[in-house]
Amino acid sequence: MKGAVKEVLDAHERLLIDQAIAKHGNRPGALLGILEAVQSANAHKYLSMVSLRYIADETGVPPARIYSAATFYALFNLDPQGDNVVCVCRGTACHTRGSRDLLEKLCLDLGLSEHEAGETGEADKLALTTPDHKFTVRTVACFGQCALAPVVEVNHHILSHVNERTLQREVKALTKNGGGGK
Amino acid sequence: MSNPLPNKTISVRIDGELVTAHEGQTILEAARANGKQIPTLCYLKGLSAVGACRVCVVELAGTDRLLPACTTPIQDGMSIKTTSAKLTLYRRMAVELLLVERNHICSSCVSNSHCELQSMAQSLGITHVRYSYNNPRLQVDMSHPRFVLDHNRCILCTRCVRVCAEVEGANVWEVASRGIYSRIVSDLKDDWGHAHNCTGCGKCVQACPTGALAEKGQSVHEMVKQGDAVTRLATQRAGQASGAH
Ligand code: SF4
Ligand code: SF4
Ligand code: FES
Ligand code: FES
Repeated sequence: MKGAVKEVLDAHERLLIDQAIAKHGNRPGALLGILEAVQSANAHKYLSMVSLRYIADETGVPPARIYSAATFYALFNLDPQGDNVVCVCRGTACHTRGSRDLLEKLCLDLGLSEHEAGETGEADKLALTTPDHKFTVRTVACFGQCALAPVVEVNHHILSHVNERTLQREVKALTKNGGGGK
Repeated sequence: MSNPLPNKTISVRIDGELVTAHEGQTILEAARANGKQIPTLCYLKGLSAVGACRVCVVELAGTDRLLPACTTPIQDGMSIKTTSAKLTLYRRMAVELLLVERNHICSSCVSNSHCELQSMAQSLGITHVRYSYNNPRLQVDMSHPRFVLDHNRCILCTRCVRVCAEVEGANVWEVASRGIYSRIVSDLKDDWGHAHNCTGCGKCVQACPTGALAEKGQSVHEMVKQGDAVTRLATQRAGQASGAH
């Protein structure tokens, strides 16, 4: 089992994981540090199943515990993320100012279905990626910028008082420029 | 968990009666030692207590907050109430919320009439629920050669998680995700049949209070669990461990 896991993981990623594990050692709470380091080193900002299995093998942490941590925190992604990340606030202030419509329109424009998340898909933790991996649409519970509602974050830039037009323009610009995420 | 060594004795009041308890005991342990019954669901003697289900809530004089008896340490001078109209109300609510969350259709369940959730609902006088059913469509994992996991019956008590980790030492289970999306998972959400550590011991099945974990080949109401066997085993081991010192 162990040997098989190492074969699928490419050498570069394995090195990164080994480094992350060595850095965090066995101290309590090390797992979160390791997962965060591995995810941010990944080109598509996610934790693949092979990497999780490798982390389990190397640290001796039971796989179920690793999976539990990776699915509990909204920070971690188990699927490859798009080059651009658009994050729509679904908090109360933004909701009352129409963030639901913004999200629906955005998904429609990008050809994503909000309902395809399936059985375990979380309404409060939506993360959908277009098949071409250009865009990921996510939601958050509140950015803490409620006075600027509705708030949408595009590649870590906060946009305030967003309406459908401005959001559409933003997305169009990114489509033209290709990936602006990195 | 209770310490096998005798601890300082303290005096407390349970339902008005003055009784002695030991420091380090939980309210539940002290009550049971004095013959008082407090209903429990997620608690299983011998395993660590997690306070997940809240049916064991009790009233403590001097505070409005209800306390889970299974995880609250008892303290000298406490005055506890284990039964009251308010407690029944909250316990009922806790069980009703468990019932609406998944699909607890007793008439087609392997554990019908041997189910702790069902008997808890009956003893609390629950004849109907006041909330709307969630009706999720959940999976049934049949991949294990001997056992089945039906998520539709799971109440997320984590007894399976704890027995597998604390008694069998196999660490197969955990709870993944959050809120109503929480699910029991084996390994990296692999099929149970492929969980690399599972020894097939069946302890999780015996510890499960509902029909969520069952032996294969059982028909409606055939699955009788042996939760006390798990307790016996766990306390035996704890005894051996402390005897070794
Ligand atoms: S059968 Fe035993 S080892 Fe396997 S999951 Fe259940 S408790 Fe753990
Ligand atoms: S499968 Fe059974 S023991 Fe495990 S959490 Fe669900 S109800 Fe509890
Ligand atoms: S509700 Fe959107 S920023 Fe607070
Ligand atoms: S038995 Fe105490 S919270 Fe479940």
